[in-house]
Amino acid sequence: MNASTSASTAVPPGILTVGEHAHWRLAWLSTVDHKRIGVLYLLIALGFFVVGGLEALFIRLQLAVPNNTLVGPDTFNALFTMHGTTMIFLVAMPALFGLANYFVPLMIGARDMAFPRLNALSVWLLLFGGLLLHFTVFTGPPQAGWFAYAPLSETAYNSSQGVDYWIMALLVLGIGSVATGVNLIATVLSMRAPGMTMKRLPLFVWINFVNSFIVIFALPVLNAGLVMLLMDRQLGTHFFVAREGGSPVLWQHIFWAFGHPEVYILALPAFGIISEVVPVFSRKPIFGYEFVAASSVAIALLSFGVWAHHMFTVGMGRAADTFFAIASMLIAIPTGVKVLNWSATMVKGRLRLSVPMLYAIAFVIQFTLGGLSGVTHAEAALDWQTKNSYYLVAHFHYVAVGGVVFAILAGIHYWFPKISGRMLSERIGRWGFWFMVLGFNGTFAIQHILGFMGMPRRIYTYPDFANWGWMNFVSTVGACLMGVSALLLVLNIVRSLLRGQPAGDNPWEAWTLEWATSSPPPVHNFEALPPIHSRRPLWDLANPQRPDPVVGGDAIASPDRLRISMWSLIGSEAAFFGTLILVFAYFNISPPAGPNAKSSLDLTKTALFSVCLFASSFTLWRAEVAEYRRSQSGMLGWLVLTLALGGVFIVGQGMEYWGLLHGGVGVNVNLFASSFYLLTGFHGFHVICGLIALLLVLGVAARGDFRQGKPSPLKSIGLYWHFVDIVWVFVLATVYVLPRVL
Amino acid sequence: MSSAQFFAQAWGGGPVLPAACAGATLVYWLRFRRRARWPYFLAAVGVVLLALASPIAALAAGALFSAHMVQHLFLLLAAPALLLLSLPGETTLPRSAGVLSHPLLTWSLGVAPMWIWHVPALCDAATVRPSIKAVQVVSMLAMGALFWWPILAPRARDRLQPLLGVVYLFAACLGCTALGMILTLTPVEVCTVFRNPVAPAATASLVRDTWGVSAETDRQIGGLLMWVPMCLVYVAAILVELRRWFGDHELEPARIAPEVRR
Repeated sequence: MNASTSASTAVPPGILTVGEHAHWRLAWLSTVDHKRIGVLYLLIALGFFVVGGLEALFIRLQLAVPNNTLVGPDTFNALFTMHGTTMIFLVAMPALFGLANYFVPLMIGARDMAFPRLNALSVWLLLFGGLLLHFTVFTGPPQAGWFAYAPLSETAYNSSQGVDYWIMALLVLGIGSVATGVNLIATVLSMRAPGMTMKRLPLFVWINFVNSFIVIFALPVLNAGLVMLLMDRQLGTHFFVAREGGSPVLWQHIFWAFGHPEVYILALPAFGIISEVVPVFSRKPIFGYEFVAASSVAIALLSFGVWAHHMFTVGMGRAADTFFAIASMLIAIPTGVKVLNWSATMVKGRLRLSVPMLYAIAFVIQFTLGGLSGVTHAEAALDWQTKNSYYLVAHFHYVAVGGVVFAILAGIHYWFPKISGRMLSERIGRWGFWFMVLGFNGTFAIQHILGFMGMPRRIYTYPDFANWGWMNFVSTVGACLMGVSALLLVLNIVRSLLRGQPAGDNPWEAWTLEWATSSPPPVHNFEALPPIHSRRPLWDLANPQRPDPVVGGDAIASPDRLRISMWSLIGSEAAFFGTLILVFAYFNISPPAGPNAKSSLDLTKTALFSVCLFASSFTLWRAEVAEYRRSQSGMLGWLVLTLALGGVFIVGQGMEYWGLLHGGVGVNVNLFASSFYLLTGFHGFHVICGLIALLLVLGVAARGDFRQGKPSPLKSIGLYWHFVDIVWVFVLATVYVLPRVL
Repeated sequence: MSSAQFFAQAWGGGPVLPAACAGATLVYWLRFRRRARWPYFLAAVGVVLLALASPIAALAAGALFSAHMVQHLFLLLAAPALLLLSLPGETTLPRSAGVLSHPLLTWSLGVAPMWIWHVPALCDAATVRPSIKAVQVVSMLAMGALFWWPILAPRARDRLQPLLGVVYLFAACLGCTALGMILTLTPVEVCTVFRNPVAPAATASLVRDTWGVSAETDRQIGGLLMWVPMCLVYVAAILVELRRWFGDHELEPARIAPEVRR
């Protein structure tokens, strides 16, 4: 839907230049402008929001009355699986990425993102992943829930190809998200305007910067798990099949090691939006900037250490339950700090209750409620009772809808004038807001009580128990009201695009740089930037007699974006390989029956071709030195040597695989073989990628000086190559050496 | 033996430890005199004594793996950090030790003890043989101090830039999380002596029978201690770094000039 609707709804004067109107399809398809890519993100999110919303409506209609037969159990399972996956990966994340894409470069006074083409790749990967997921309409949809618990997600119980498409879609989306995360980190570090120091970043930018680190560390963990599940389904391995020695609980650990940070991947940018909207509509600077900024870092760090609270009912043991209960409750502290910051910003402010502010206030209240029920889930003993009841459903919808969706709506109403150049209607906006508040609380508040009365989640119908019927009916009516609100939003947007009031540069009298340019901004973003000495440059510009206190010095460091992006990618890949190495350790600490590391692997041969790989790091370093010294022939020579050494390693590994496969050690023989091929295979794949990159460099370099004054790509490829070699040190130790000595 | 009796009696750790602590206190007093920051120093000594001469030490000596982990946390994290904080403002490393303070090296040395001392043979040996135990204690204190140096060095210019400090600490957190996860989630046994306790029979039966802590639960708690609280210490340190970063106003030299500070 996206290419066509995106173009038909989004051709207000200004977003495209006059010349582009003649070929608007090509203008949208080929764009690398961060603003248009941001709009594409938002439109894709809006499209899938309609899909996911309709799925939700069908769920609620089916549950409206007891013993309903509107949809059958299989359809119902498919509906909630698709609803959850769609809303998380195809609505909330893209909407937040879209806003970040559009506004992070503007807020730091940049011309574009650090890597515009990579940016375009991310958005098209998103569309491709979304289409892959929805292709399951033809193959039989996945029915294992959005967290796809094994063994339910294994072929024995989900035999249609739905789960396979689900896996592939999430892999594609995961890769796109990591690319976006890397791009945002490089943008914030390397693309800031003069004077925009790290201490002066608008909170939306700071929080998206912190959030990008969660993205690049959390998504690879999911990707590792997805590959394992795919191997189980397609290659006959048994990573998550208990009968064959695998571990379904491991899937839960991997999924939630990603899944809990994912909650904050959604929540943190929402905090960022609220931290921009609340001050502007309270006519005061944010109260305690540093506390909002630092508590975001604390949340990001803690989010990685508490995933096991999703697993209290698995039977991890009392010791683990206790530790994770306490650690989980700690997250309430930095989150509570933020609620205090927003509230204190509003105190004694001149509140303007425009639509963005209404959504922001509702966010603060509803998110606090969702947070409080979250703390009750951190209490393990209570969690045993309420887990998988509608109490849990109510909790996470208060966070995800009452929090995240309300924040996105606040952001869309706040920034729409900048994106389109036209104001939204306040009147329709208010109607939409009240429908949303009423509908949301009507749907989910009552589900807390339904949960306490024992209604489990994910049942397609229920008997006519006392009070269940009318309570569910109330919930369904609420969902319909939310549907009305969504229609009003679309109506408001279309109306505004056709005949909205012109917005002007700064309709809200806000203080961050995106309002210092025209609405919509020109392709190059800014004609001229105001001087930046504080966190509110536009306030200083408007009030030269009483500017904000100057924050820190003016000097900024703009590190090379190639290096920054490569280091970010390396961090992300380290998380991926770390997961794979831990998985190998998990399955091989007590060697499984059949072939194992000691009996099947030949350390001597492997050591020989490992030496070649390590030597290639040295030769590549020499190539970098030669390039630095402008010695073309030296560089070419060392590059060829590096390629040869890397090639020897790959051939050596290929021979090892050949020998193993002919010795009867196939990938599905036992968990040693599966985890061995998984780990070494992915390492080999990375070596091959490095070889291809080096071949490209060699090809370009052979034709002359390929740098043309730009920073050398050889340095960042070198970083990647050294990283892959260091990974091999750990693989060699874990797979080949340790099993022999321990 | 009842729990109350045990906690009343299991104090004291031989003559060497009090002597070492007294010696260290004397050296500290002679070196710094009136510039001494006694609360931090005494807290550091207190933590060392708590780790080595209290019921924790008695339990760690072959009865309870988790107590042994508490001991490690005290010796590797808490005591060295307090020790660095006890150094007055202008203290710096001797020039010859400058090489040692490279962040990559200090990071590796700070993370390594947790892995090395949990190699089964070494872990068992350190639990059973006092001489190896002594090596372990000294190495942990020294490596812990080196680890904290780029974060807690008294002079600001010996420290890492705060945002790099965040990365430094976060990476350390990942290092101990990985091992903590292995200990918690897999049946790996890094210290076999704790399965069939080598501690005095009375202590062993107190742990297993009176408190009802099985070997599995014990191992799990040990892993969790390394995983969760250890990372919380790093997270707390990260917040300190951020506070420093936001609190550092380069534009106001008067504020950081030494004569104004005094």
